[in-house]
Amino acid sequence: MDYIDPHIHMVSRTTDDYETLARMGCVAMSEPAFWAGFDRGSVESFRDYFRQLTEFEPKRAAQFGIKHYTWLCINAKEAENVSLSREVIAMIPEFLDKPNVLGIGEIGLNKNTRNEATIFLEHVELAIKYRQQILIHTPHLEDKYQGTRMILDMLTADARVEPSRVLVDHVEEHTIREVLERGFWAGMTLYPISKCTPQRAADMIEMYGPERLMANSAGDWGPSKPTAVPDLIMELKRRGHPRSLIQRIVYDNPRIFFSQSRSWSDPITP
Amino acid sequence: MSRTARQILQEEFLIARARILELAAIFDRIDRAAQDDDGSGPAEEFEKARHQLELLTRAVAILQDSDSQRASRVQSLMSRPYDPNWREQWTI
Repeated sequence: MDYIDPHIHMVSRTTDDYETLARMGCVAMSEPAFWAGFDRGSVESFRDYFRQLTEFEPKRAAQFGIKHYTWLCINAKEAENVSLSREVIAMIPEFLDKPNVLGIGEIGLNKNTRNEATIFLEHVELAIKYRQQILIHTPHLEDKYQGTRMILDMLTADARVEPSRVLVDHVEEHTIREVLERGFWAGMTLYPISKCTPQRAADMIEMYGPERLMANSAGDWGPSKPTAVPDLIMELKRRGHPRSLIQRIVYDNPRIFFSQSRSWSDPITP
Repeated sequence: MSRTARQILQEEFLIARARILELAAIFDRIDRAAQDDDGSGPAEEFEKARHQLELLTRAVAILQDSDSQRASRVQSLMSRPYDPNWREQWTI
């Protein structure tokens, strides 16, 4: 089955992974900007990283017929460095017209600090100013519930933010309801240990339905499996769900959400 | 399409059995190591370990009760609290 991975960090993956994903049915992917495994020291590091995301990764993906899209930001982990964050935010507009940029992301909170919240709000201002879609990172483990609520507080307090143009990622059982009820899109991240397994994601699809819901592999530096979305497809098939429901989660919903960005064009599928 | 409770049990009994055994073995491992623990080390490490063990024990209790939404309640148990007035405190 053709699918779109709406959140996968291919800079941490090999070219062989691109080939495997293509063989598994991946036709398009979106890669939010994130942490490099270490804190970067200057705005030039981010400029180089954004070139990697907008020039190199689309070419690597294209070798296997995959369309590669991206989102730009300084991630929450590095937002404690407020002055560097502001330099990066000021530089981002240089890249917003690149053909594979979908918006600003993944922005959010990590340890739910004041500096993180300050930089989050400045990213939101940037997105509004340039009419960009937003992709949200919600924190890990014990920080997730608190951080998700804080993020939703900040987004809903600003009437200029259109929930239908915001994807809140890494939702789990204790955060999904609030995200969907407030009108945002929600993404479930499929990880082997932290976040959500394909089985628990299937449970949430059964409990909440497919409206504004998608699933991703995130595939990053930590334990993660880039082919996790096909694992979810298998789990939903195993439970007897119809192809139309599965396709809605793994293809139609990402396509509908991303098509709000002028950079998006639908993958050509045979 | 929804599966019956019987179907789910049939399909997932062995998976649940394996995971319960893993959990039982983890608790056994902790107990065995605790017997050999001479109590040396930073106090905060002991406090953290005590807190983690308490969380796991309380999570297991959630699995045993008959209320619904167990996964969500385990997640809540493992979460830091949310204060709706956080923005006023930080003047953000």
